[in-house]
Amino acid sequence: MSLWVDKHRPRDLMKLDYHKDQAVRLKSLVQQSDFPHLLVYGPSGAGKKTRIMCLLRELYGSGVERLRQETMTFTTPSNKKVEIMTVSSNYHIEVNPTDVGIHDRVVIMDLVKNVAQTHQIDSSGQREFKVVILNEVDDLTKDAQHALRRTMEKYVATCRLILIANSISRVIPAIRSRCLTIRVPAPTESEIASVLQLVCKKESLNLPSDLATRLAKAADRNLRRALLMCEACKVQQYPFTSDQKIPEPDWQQFIRDTATMILSEQTAKKLGEVRQKLYELIIHGVPPDMIFAGLLKELVRNCDMAMKCQVASHAANYEHRMRLGNKPIFHLEAFVAKFMAIYKKFVEESMGDVF
Amino acid sequence: MGDYPDPDEEYELMYADELAMLREDEDHAEPSVVKKKPLPAKRSLDFSSPVAKKPVTSNFANNAPDIITNSGVTESTDISLTPNLQPLEEFTQVSNKRTVDELFGDIGDIDFNEVELPSKRQKTEEETDLELIEKILEGRRLKQILLEPSGRALGGRSRYNAKDNMSLDIPRWPFVALSNSDGDRVYVRIESEEDWENSLDKGMEQMSLHASYASTWVEARKILEDKQQKVISEEVATQPLPDMDTDVNGNMLWVDKYRPQSYLELLSDEPVNRALLHWLHLWDKIVFKKEVKTKEPQQRTTFSKRAGQFQLTNKWKGKKEDQPELDDDGRPHHKVALLCGPPGVGKTTLAHLLARIAGYRPVELNASDERSTDAFRNALQSATLMRSVLDSEKRPNCLILDEIDGAPLPTVELLVRWCTATVTEGKKKAKQQPLKRPVIAICNDLYATSLRPLRPVALVVHVGGVSASRLSSRLAAVCAREGLAVGAHVLGALAARAAGDVRAAIQLLSFIKARAKTQLSMDDVENVAIGTKDCNKNIMQALQSIFTTNDREPDAILKTIQSAGEYDRLIDGIFENYLWGGAAGRLELAAEAVSWLQQYDVVSAWTLRHQNYSLYATLPLCIARCHSLLATRTPMRVKFPLQAQEMYRKKLEIESIVSSVLRGSAPSVSVSRLALVLDVLPLLPYLLAPNLRTANVQLCSASERQSLRTVAGAMCEYGLQYGQHRAADGLYVHSLEPDIYRAAFFGTEEKVRLTPAIRQAIAREQQLEVIRRSEEMASRVPARSNATSTLAKKSNSTTDTKEPSTSKDKEVPLPNHLQRLQPKVVKKNTPQVHKDFFGRIVPLSQVQRNDPVADVISSSSVFYHYQEGFNNAVRRNVRVRDLL
Repeated sequence: MSLWVDKHRPRDLMKLDYHKDQAVRLKSLVQQSDFPHLLVYGPSGAGKKTRIMCLLRELYGSGVERLRQETMTFTTPSNKKVEIMTVSSNYHIEVNPTDVGIHDRVVIMDLVKNVAQTHQIDSSGQREFKVVILNEVDDLTKDAQHALRRTMEKYVATCRLILIANSISRVIPAIRSRCLTIRVPAPTESEIASVLQLVCKKESLNLPSDLATRLAKAADRNLRRALLMCEACKVQQYPFTSDQKIPEPDWQQFIRDTATMILSEQTAKKLGEVRQKLYELIIHGVPPDMIFAGLLKELVRNCDMAMKCQVASHAANYEHRMRLGNKPIFHLEAFVAKFMAIYKKFVEESMGDVF
Repeated sequence: MGDYPDPDEEYELMYADELAMLREDEDHAEPSVVKKKPLPAKRSLDFSSPVAKKPVTSNFANNAPDIITNSGVTESTDISLTPNLQPLEEFTQVSNKRTVDELFGDIGDIDFNEVELPSKRQKTEEETDLELIEKILEGRRLKQILLEPSGRALGGRSRYNAKDNMSLDIPRWPFVALSNSDGDRVYVRIESEEDWENSLDKGMEQMSLHASYASTWVEARKILEDKQQKVISEEVATQPLPDMDTDVNGNMLWVDKYRPQSYLELLSDEPVNRALLHWLHLWDKIVFKKEVKTKEPQQRTTFSKRAGQFQLTNKWKGKKEDQPELDDDGRPHHKVALLCGPPGVGKTTLAHLLARIAGYRPVELNASDERSTDAFRNALQSATLMRSVLDSEKRPNCLILDEIDGAPLPTVELLVRWCTATVTEGKKKAKQQPLKRPVIAICNDLYATSLRPLRPVALVVHVGGVSASRLSSRLAAVCAREGLAVGAHVLGALAARAAGDVRAAIQLLSFIKARAKTQLSMDDVENVAIGTKDCNKNIMQALQSIFTTNDREPDAILKTIQSAGEYDRLIDGIFENYLWGGAAGRLELAAEAVSWLQQYDVVSAWTLRHQNYSLYATLPLCIARCHSLLATRTPMRVKFPLQAQEMYRKKLEIESIVSSVLRGSAPSVSVSRLALVLDVLPLLPYLLAPNLRTANVQLCSASERQSLRTVAGAMCEYGLQYGQHRAADGLYVHSLEPDIYRAAFFGTEEKVRLTPAIRQAIAREQQLEVIRRSEEMASRVPARSNATSTLAKKSNSTTDTKEPSTSKDKEVPLPNHLQRLQPKVVKKNTPQVHKDFFGRIVPLSQVQRNDPVADVISSSSVFYHYQEGFNNAVRRNVRVRDLL
């Protein structure tokens, strides 16, 4: 009895609920003898992982679903031991190199080499390659990405890589060109709603279509979130009513509160309070770029068109600087301070116009 | 002459030396360092009030010669009268076992009779107080002027005050009439535009006057200096230059030349000197076989109250009531004294001098000597167990370990063992004798790692920097002896620049002298590149100066920042404080300041990432820019930056929660970390909070039981469980482990907290679920073989249908993933033929006749088994799944 997200995950390429033509193409890709490296990218909750697991099942049969969890240890050149958790089956190994921070290069080099250098004993009986799945490739350091590009070519005979990323803008072009890139777009709201309906039918529940669309809207085109929310709704109140309260992640609410706080008063004192809120968000592991995006989205609602452009360009600028720097809080606060200054001026001017 | 006079000579000549010097000085008509502080020669002198003696030091520069003659005479006569000298003579003739009283006078007297204190010290303290008060007053006045520039500017325009410009009667000047709501009429003066312009101009002038305040300050100082210069040059002209080559030891460093030769010349704080001396005298019992007067605690406290800065740590103060200062063997409680303080304040000098005063022969071991464990043990043994043979007086050794913070850790550990082990093992091991000589260790950094074992066993004495006033008076004395004409304020600047470092100050003086100058001006002090103390301003001072405007030296901020170092910490400090500083009212300023912090962050991140330090020099510039934006004249309390670290700690906590969830979750649900944080964890608490009646689980409806099982299943998948904890009020509370509530909510987790009863129910269900799953795992192996067999059958059936098409594949071995295991055909057992003993076949009917009985027992799951002596009762196979 697990969560719906896990329970109703499609296992077969043909049983996917959306992007069906893509599934067909993937299936024909497997049937070809030539299987390239893949770079699968798309927003969170779009179904990248689900598709990859289906693909692997297509490649190797149901054996890939017998997963085991292992902790591997690597030694960095500076003799530091780093541990990383891997999920593997007999045919593939999955790892998230960014878990070890700046030592990701070591993990990639050692792991890929290890896997690639062990040939199959009886290559006639099975596929002659194993698959290495690397998560969050866009957050890899440049060093690690460069380490990757040589290993990709060198061990292509025995090992295929499937790279997963949210966006390929931070994947170096050298890697992009070595892979077949597969984009998995986020499902549309109607697709999400239909998936929700389907799942509820499987659970023999009755989901009002209003609630389904509301859930789809609230989930921000993230199917995982939608399913979790739907199940949370069910836990809280069943039978469903179309106007029932949808629980949502607390951090979203928190960002909205912060934005309201910024709009309510523009003083240095308020800025100090906002800083505490920003710190809280960072502590809870919300990535700073999402904080930027969330704040911007809320803040521009109260701006006129000219100011919208100005604020958005500032946000982009500051977010870029944040990526270059080390301390996100400086950049977040800089953005808030800048916005407060602009907004205050704007309000004062418009007040002046009134009188 | 080495660092110190020969021990044997010096011992007799301790005071005779001074006398000789005095006479010499009289001949040269030069002020002596010694005479500057008249000895407390006679007790009758002691009631002389500080005021009476004040001119001695203050007018020192002017009428030095005659005072010297005076004091010299009195001293020379007095000293012969002091009781101190008589025992000295006796001592040289009679005893080689000297006593403290004999040598130094009663140490108790020195410690307790404040009257006997050198009155010079009190005087300087008072003087410094007066100076300080003056300084403060001066500073306040300046600040007043600086803070209220507008006040002065307004002062010029005060004739435009309201009274002059408004009138209730009809005035003679041009006016505008106004009436308020009550109907009162007021006439307000109108001014012509030129008039207005004029007044504005005046205001502007005054403002600009204020702005050029700094330059005025410089000018004023120059004038003062010139005046001083004139006075000095006149003096120099009138006074015959003392001949330079009187200095016999011309090649001696000034630092050595003017090293304090007696207790009274020590520049370090009185309490420090006394603490060390007192400790040294505690050794008297074991070294000189002489009873030590241990002090009454009360007297000590009064003393420390008076000093106000009795800097003894190491629980001496705290423990002194209950802990005797001497242990059972008659040795002091602390076997080692640890002197610590910044360089150049006279720690080594202090140690040497006090050791000699207390009657020891100082044996120094410093960083230039080998300090391996063996060498160190040898040195320790030779210094503490032996005594000099050549020394005619056979003075005991006192080991001084200089610069011990540089010593390797094993060496320090050896020393600690030496000190402590003898206490316990001393009696058992005849070979190793207990430490019987005082050991003084000297260090700069008390908290060096190698000193960690030493700190708890040692008496820690902090030697602070020498106050600027005392240092400058000493410098004045030195200058006078060397024939340098220096103004008092120049010496003050010199002393301030040295920041408590006597050595640096004297070296600088000597350096300037070496450039063949007979007089010293402010420029000399300010322009020499050397001699600035390599001061490490602490971070708080730097922060404070970042947030305050510095009119005097606008460019000094960069230097301050650079000397503080630790830019990261500084940046954090600015970040935490800027909202309360100059940017308090102005958001543009705040935005600008933060953008410079951003700039800093980007540059430093780049530097670290590429390990390329070419832009490192720009970092302090970012901070300096923040200073120019944020500095104010109003003082503000700067807080130490702690926020960032605190936040980092909290972040780690939550990250560890997330990682433990990640690690604990089943491989089938493996989600990426980000998805876990953003999607799963925030919603999981809702999923784990089913709506249940608080009733016994057995009484729940089917749907409730279903939801309970769902929750338990989810918890198993994500590796969560309810743990029982004893709360503060003694009740047991079920709490989720790992605590995902903390990771999911921003302080509002009470929204979905469950009642204890439900939590308990879930906890029970989850444990059952765990058992169920393990059972499933255990039973999976046979189950799977069944499954594969059915699968195989299916595949067989499929292959049957596709027989013609796949016939070609028969030759090519099927890939692994397409292969299916074939069920092994179980052969049917042919009924076994029973044979009897002789090999004849027994007819089946006969065999089966016996069987039924046996069959009943083996086929039934319930059976009785009788064992002799007791009944084993009913035995039945029960499986866990039967109970669930």
